[in-house]
Amino acid sequence: MWVGTPIIFSGLALGSFYALMALGFSLILSVARVFNLAHGEMILLSGYLAFVLWQFFQAPFFWLLPICSLALLALTLPLHYLLRRLPEPYGLNSLMVTLGLALLLQSLLLAWFSADYRLMRLDWPAVAIPGLDFSFLSFQGLLIILALAVTAGVHLVLQRTFLGKALRATIQDREAAQVAGINVNQMGLVAFGLGGLLIGLAGPLFAQNMYLYPAAGTEATMIAIVVTIFAGLGRTRNILLGGWLLGLTQSVAVFTMGSKWRELVSAALLLLLLYFRPEGLSLKKER
Amino acid sequence: MRFPKPLPAAAGVLLLVLWPLIFPDAAHIQQVLGITCLYATLALAWNLYALTGAISLGHAAFFGLGAYASALLNHYYHWSPLLTIPLGALAAVVFAVFWAMGFRRLRGVYLGLASLAALEIPKTIVDNWDRFTYGSMGIMGLDRLPSATLGGLQVDLGMDLQAQYYLLLGIMLLAVLLNLKSIRSRWGWTLRAIRENETAAAALGIASNRERAKALLLSSYLAGLAGALYAHILGLVEPGLVFNLHLSVLPLVFCIFGGSTKVWGPVLGAFILYPLEQLCLLPLFPMGHSAVYGLVIILTIFFFPQGIAAWLPRAPKSA
Repeated sequence: MWVGTPIIFSGLALGSFYALMALGFSLILSVARVFNLAHGEMILLSGYLAFVLWQFFQAPFFWLLPICSLALLALTLPLHYLLRRLPEPYGLNSLMVTLGLALLLQSLLLAWFSADYRLMRLDWPAVAIPGLDFSFLSFQGLLIILALAVTAGVHLVLQRTFLGKALRATIQDREAAQVAGINVNQMGLVAFGLGGLLIGLAGPLFAQNMYLYPAAGTEATMIAIVVTIFAGLGRTRNILLGGWLLGLTQSVAVFTMGSKWRELVSAALLLLLLYFRPEGLSLKKER
Repeated sequence: MRFPKPLPAAAGVLLLVLWPLIFPDAAHIQQVLGITCLYATLALAWNLYALTGAISLGHAAFFGLGAYASALLNHYYHWSPLLTIPLGALAAVVFAVFWAMGFRRLRGVYLGLASLAALEIPKTIVDNWDRFTYGSMGIMGLDRLPSATLGGLQVDLGMDLQAQYYLLLGIMLLAVLLNLKSIRSRWGWTLRAIRENETAAAALGIASNRERAKALLLSSYLAGLAGALYAHILGLVEPGLVFNLHLSVLPLVFCIFGGSTKVWGPVLGAFILYPLEQLCLLPLFPMGHSAVYGLVIILTIFFFPQGIAAWLPRAPKSA
């Protein structure tokens, strides 16, 4: 077997996970125009919830996904009502309020769970492909399948339903959408709802894939930002592509340079993206 | 009225100068308030850049670079901290030059995101360059601040907390003066014009990128200075300590809460929030006491976005 195959495969699995993390961020940003800097901390919150349910109530992994999704939905919907009342300038103020929320959640997690590193240790059977000298963990397969399914789901909702049409109109031009009779606030609520479900879904996967500790959220937020800015607003399929690219880059970087440089990869990619696309997203300039 | 009313400010400064003489034994409070002065200096540095309308999440990079440059000079060449602190802060300025060039087209939210990412670069490099910076171990045993002789009076700045407090207070007051000059001057109006409407400012002949870069360089030097001082006050540096995102957030919280457009706003914010956290909340909640900063950001932006300094009696002609 070629030595690169496992690196590419684990990069793809990691990238699928990144895409799953970024989907909620992207929806909330593109429809509600909120730069949710608390995104990573919310994923952590869901991850810790999954950890507690698994540790103390022996909840099976596949039950954790819907439970955490609904729990985070219950968190993001009130957040939407809160953020709607923000004074102008909306962009910067939402950035700072969610930064405050991130700090708040981080401190609460620290108070509840201490700074220890935690990981859900489940035994995932290895899957071997017959005829090929190659095997992988079924969890990695699950990540890839889940990412494909969820991306396809969001894509279909956006492209094939009436609600999706209204959402896309809101993404493309808020004022024009309003003129056409679309309630953009309601669309924001929908985006926060869908985003909450997706954030909740990412939590148990995070707890399984990476170490949970209260400061881990910053990197998750950074990854979501990188993937979203790479993809552009409302381009669901590009998110999957961006996630895979980031995952592959990180896998190769870790393989060649060591794991300590991993965090720099996403930061450097973000800076490069912003250098070449200073407006960030290929839409109207916003302040 | 011709003369501004400096009374509240003068009374406040007098209070800060006099209280350690009345309570000479309150060592812990002197230490906390000394660090408060240091963070207030950092907040004033942040505010200089914020006057142009920029919200930076990367000032910890300046702080950390100042700290590490000063620490490395002290560690390898054994120069006195009196020399390494002002020199080390220049490392932050070098980084600011790259920042000004790389981010010159970024505004608003995207500038904030870029600055957040920019923090990772010096942090990861310092963290991994084991041979030169000792990596995540950090550098221990740095020289403390030296003793100074003032008119026959020997003052040990390194160990005597009261002397250290006065040093940090003095540096903070210098930073306040710089902030005052930057707000109430022709240049201050330039920065304000850039903040409010860059296109209109450019139409008036303001080279907005150059002026913004000036503010950033000044800001970075001051932040680097604060970092370098911090390294020698503690006697050690570690990447996780001085490149901490927390150090980017603190000045933001202090400035937003205190009032970013007011001369004394950042100082007010620092002197209310930091002692509150360290003296009241830390003993009560040893783990989650930083939550107060998150809460303060949220409440400030919703309920009094101008900061609390807007409630003070205002001197005429202040902006």
